[in-house]
Amino acid sequence: MEFWKDETEPIKAFIELFNRAKQDTELYEGLKKVNQLIWFDYTENGPNCSFYVDCRGGEVKVSPGKPDDQPDLTMSLSADDAHRSWSNKLNPVMAITRKKIRIKGSATGLLKLAPKLKKVATIYNVTLKDLGWESKIIS
Amino acid sequence: MKGSTGHFLSVNLSDGSTNSFCPPIDYYSRFIGGAGFAARLFVERGNFETDPLAPDALLIFSLGPFAGLRLSGASRFSAAACSPLTGHWADSSCGGNFAPELKFAGFDGILISGKAEKPSVLVISDHTAKVETYPELWGLGVEKTTAALKHKFGKASKTLVIGPAGENLVKFACIINDGHSAFGRAGLGAVMGSKGLKAIVVRAKDRNFIVEDPIACRKLVSELNSRIKESVTLSVMRENGTAANLEGGVHLGDVPIRNFTSNFWEEMAEALTGSTLSEKYLKRRANCDFCSVACKRIVEITEGPFAIPKGPGPEYETIVSFGSLIGSMDLAATCKAGKMCNDLGMDTISCGATIAWALEAFENGDIGVEECDGLQLKWGDINTIINHLLPTIAEKRGGLGELLAGGSVAAARKTGSKTREYNVHAKGLEAPMHDPRGGGHGLALTYAVSHRGACHVSSPMLFMEMGACYYPEIGFDYELDPLSSENKAESAVLAMALGSLENSACLCQFADREITIPEWVALFNSVAGFNWEIHDMMKAGRRIFYLQRLMNHRYGLRAEDDKISSRLLTPAVDGAPEGIKIEFDKMKTKFYNLMDLDPETGIPSSKTLVDYNLETEADIILKG
Ligand code: SF4
Repeated sequence: MEFWKDETEPIKAFIELFNRAKQDTELYEGLKKVNQLIWFDYTENGPNCSFYVDCRGGEVKVSPGKPDDQPDLTMSLSADDAHRSWSNKLNPVMAITRKKIRIKGSATGLLKLAPKLKKVATIYNVTLKDLGWESKIIS
Repeated sequence: MKGSTGHFLSVNLSDGSTNSFCPPIDYYSRFIGGAGFAARLFVERGNFETDPLAPDALLIFSLGPFAGLRLSGASRFSAAACSPLTGHWADSSCGGNFAPELKFAGFDGILISGKAEKPSVLVISDHTAKVETYPELWGLGVEKTTAALKHKFGKASKTLVIGPAGENLVKFACIINDGHSAFGRAGLGAVMGSKGLKAIVVRAKDRNFIVEDPIACRKLVSELNSRIKESVTLSVMRENGTAANLEGGVHLGDVPIRNFTSNFWEEMAEALTGSTLSEKYLKRRANCDFCSVACKRIVEITEGPFAIPKGPGPEYETIVSFGSLIGSMDLAATCKAGKMCNDLGMDTISCGATIAWALEAFENGDIGVEECDGLQLKWGDINTIINHLLPTIAEKRGGLGELLAGGSVAAARKTGSKTREYNVHAKGLEAPMHDPRGGGHGLALTYAVSHRGACHVSSPMLFMEMGACYYPEIGFDYELDPLSSENKAESAVLAMALGSLENSACLCQFADREITIPEWVALFNSVAGFNWEIHDMMKAGRRIFYLQRLMNHRYGLRAEDDKISSRLLTPAVDGAPEGIKIEFDKMKTKFYNLMDLDPETGIPSSKTLVDYNLETEADIILKG
């Protein structure tokens, strides 16, 4: 991996990102509207390298690992590309076209979130800084 | 010739005669079908001096080699003529169900000339055709006409119909297939109307489709169909239609607002986006023949001022044309306006754009209540548009109807110089609902150099800029920044060739995003037996682009006409592209160099004409 020392690092960063994103009213409302169970699967970088976001039923829950329920949407990619993606440095359409991101299930909910990626990236950079990983920030 | 029937139907409406003829065999591999083939046939049989609405003007319908193949996206076809809207060569593409049926009936296309004495219908079935008079259909809307024809010729027959707008020679009248799919652009419905031809009906018994290599073809088609069915992007379109990403487009600044004067309107994004349409009004999905994407919508609105019974719903272009472009975010109203345009037979893009021009002209006092036959026009007043403007335009009622029925460019010409600033077009064709300032600067270039004018389906540039294309075999392996001119000329060179291929092979530009370049070649080879390498295919695409330019040169267009309205080159005042200028001249100069186009005449050098085997055509066009 280019950005991470081991498989725990990215999951720590991404879960913290989502917990912070939940504090932002616009993002929280946006996530609730997605109304799906999404599994972010980075297991190509290690068996425990994944987390999920459960936006169903008017709540948003974030946890490490694979969900027990069948996900409505699975996004499989590398932890490095996930880092680029949350940093708003990876064109998601291009990544899908070039098979860097593989998707299973309905991506409609995600489309709704795409316009908010800029805001997510701002929160992500602050998150990295607070975690002491300023060097990982992509300028 | 495999994949094609080798026969075209020729119809002279003046004497009602119909004949079949065999176009030269080399046309198929050199110009493929669809738009390219129609252009070549016109060079052989048309007259560049003829007025587009004169009886001896030609109207050509042309299929691609894949019409009839059970492949998602393969059931489109082209109509072509000199456009009454723009005054030069144009073609338009339509999906639906007519193309396979015409192929099964034994024809690769229809060439129509003359003018019927009485309103007529061309009836085609299994290798035969006849012209029948139907005066009772004249004046009817598309829906009633289609229903009457289905009643008479059977439910399984396929129809192409014009509405009152086509009969009244509205310059942006369209032709509608089975009440849903449209040859929308460039006013070809008016050409059909000028010939007294209300409709074409086709019915075929056979379902024969002979291909060069049935085994290879079956395997490839099966692979492509599975991939198209499983594609993430296409499944989003299946779910929420062509407006699935309207919301994202608003945030990019791609969606035009109030006649392209703004690039951002946040509340509108969710109100008009495809998922909202699905939640509120979608009854079921519909598709062109054999296509699993099913991006078409069947909607119903049960209450309110815009209630409509279950029927064809709007796609992206219509939603924006009668939504944000005219300052409205009423989704139900876009459904109603789209339904009315379909029934009256008007292109929703040019119609919406012409109305947007009028709204701006009224706001600025360039036209007043008097010129508007007593109407007050204002942004977002969709009631006035639906209840008054649409019928007024289709019937060319009063001064306002006459003014707007000629399209926005002619209306500005009549009204006065200041209102030309409100025109948003290229070569007289109103721009579609993608603003290059946000959608991608390369789109500005391809709007400008496209033969028919501002057109988003003349090439896949929009998709290339958004990252939805990856063609390493032809050198498109890099990422584009939509908001920059970098690499846009180089990409446009590929895009225009690919667009010519799409519009000549008549493959849908949504579904064919899943087809790789080697697979394109394999399709041509296994279906039509062209025996091509990638290079041959790309050369054919570029040949067609050059041919259409030569034709437009003969119609009087020059390099200086490869431009877009100044509004699109003025930096956006809001949204993601705010303040960013499109470096149009830089892109155009580079494109011209790469394409070997003369900076004054706009046509390729003699050497390039030889390289692309276009000497004969150039001789006929330029010296004829
Ligand atoms: S994707 Fe949509 S427009 Fe294209 S062929 Fe399929 S149904 Fe028709």
